[in-house]
Amino acid sequence: MARSLHRHGRALAEARQQVLVMRDLMDLQIESADGIDLGRVDDVEAEILADGQAAVTALLGGPQALAGRISSRLRPLIRRLLRDRFDSRIPIEEVAELGLVVRLRGPAARYGLGASDRWLAEHLWARLPGGRR
Amino acid sequence: MRKWLGLALGVVTATGGFLDAGTVVTAGEAGAQFGLGLLWAALVATLAVMLLVEMTGRFAAVSGKPYAAAVREHFGFKFYLLPLASELIAESVMLAAEIGGIAVAVSIATGLPWLPLFPLAALFVWLLVYRAPFSLIENGPAVLGLVTLSFLVGIAVLGGPNEHLVRSAWPPAVGPGKLPAYLGLAAAILGATISPYLIYFYSSGAREEGWNEADLTLNKVTAVVGMGFGSLGSIALIVLAAMVLLPQGKDGSTLPQLASTMTRALGAPGTLLFALALFATCTGAAFEVSLGLAYDVAQGFGWQWGEDEAPVEAARFNLVLTAVVVVSVVIGLLIQDPASLAIVGSTLIALFLPISLAPFLVIMNDRDELGERTNGRLSNIATGGVVGLAFVVAVLSLVLTFVGG
Repeated sequence: MARSLHRHGRALAEARQQVLVMRDLMDLQIESADGIDLGRVDDVEAEILADGQAAVTALLGGPQALAGRISSRLRPLIRRLLRDRFDSRIPIEEVAELGLVVRLRGPAARYGLGASDRWLAEHLWARLPGGRR
Repeated sequence: MRKWLGLALGVVTATGGFLDAGTVVTAGEAGAQFGLGLLWAALVATLAVMLLVEMTGRFAAVSGKPYAAAVREHFGFKFYLLPLASELIAESVMLAAEIGGIAVAVSIATGLPWLPLFPLAALFVWLLVYRAPFSLIENGPAVLGLVTLSFLVGIAVLGGPNEHLVRSAWPPAVGPGKLPAYLGLAAAILGATISPYLIYFYSSGAREEGWNEADLTLNKVTAVVGMGFGSLGSIALIVLAAMVLLPQGKDGSTLPQLASTMTRALGAPGTLLFALALFATCTGAAFEVSLGLAYDVAQGFGWQWGEDEAPVEAARFNLVLTAVVVVSVVIGLLIQDPASLAIVGSTLIALFLPISLAPFLVIMNDRDELGERTNGRLSNIATGGVVGLAFVVAVLSLVLTFVGG
């Protein structure tokens, strides 16, 4: 079922009934309700439920999460350097739709993911001539 | 009617977009040093780039996503870093060569020294990628690039290649001690023509222009006719250099030397035509390379991207675009030799081709992305074969160069 989920895109409610394979979630594009590309699913947070099943609780994004994808030893190192400042955690409840992309319930401004895009736009490009075109 | 207009524009774009600093320098050196003995490499490379452009257009039209996104989704973040790193290294060198080519073109036309023009050329490239809409970037330099067809006029005026030269095409005669240089140039020609930035650029461009499955026939014709027509420019340059520089004993290793071939054929207007062709092709390529790199990074990390978006709408994408130009300026100022940079960049690309194109071939055979439109066996074998050839030739030339001292 792995890729068919990608192809057709189903509502999260339906996806919840299915067993998600990591490949269905990891590295997917994360999009806000207002259609802004915020980033990708760099890692996922899961917890083991009482019945022994694992459930995804949050999507993670940022340099620390990515460092963990490269090597588990790199993650604490980057964490000590950045102190969680650039990483964000999106609770799974915020996910409105899971298909070809992960669509969130709120507008871009609600999430920490993609905040650097807004910071750069405001502090750099908006101040340069032509930045708004 | 509109469809045919689209085809005409596509062909013009492909024709003008075929040449860049890498193809110009490698073609010129090949002709000057080995006559027509490396014509086969240009032909093989043309076939490969036709296949590649067709695949890239098909991929973007059917899957609806750009290439870098697909690489990360298919192979994961860790693997994605591999083609990304190879692209960043090889294409930064190439971009330095393209910007250098623009500066040298202006220098040939005006007589000013090229080095002070180099930062200005970089600023020009940055301003255009920063401000211009996608269609201007794609079509402007491409239409200007048709000037490369004046190389054919140059050949005709000089009377065409003589029988002796034609016979040097096959079997190629390689003098004693010349094998490393010969193989090196073969690899560089393949790398310069089959540049992977094309996949990132073209697949993203197809997204920016909203292609779909209805565009597939047009895509196929554009790839074959456009690239076939475009290769005329580089083949003509091999012939020109072989006719003019080879008898003079010059090695064709500088851009002004290559310009002198057109001067010989058409006088001062010939020099200007060469300068204009160089300017147009290097400008077009500089756009494509810098955008290709920015697409690669932004799509892989999932950021807002798009040349038609204002910089405030795609802030990180535009930051990468700027950083890429800055890095290339540094490279260009450290190694003040655009022609050598073009050769080094092309050779690096040839070495990295398996890393950049193996994932592409895997994705082109995935039914989840392409449905019934996956690759046929022939295009798989042909593309894989050329990639393998370029890599082996590049490695061989390096080994021979070092063994030979």
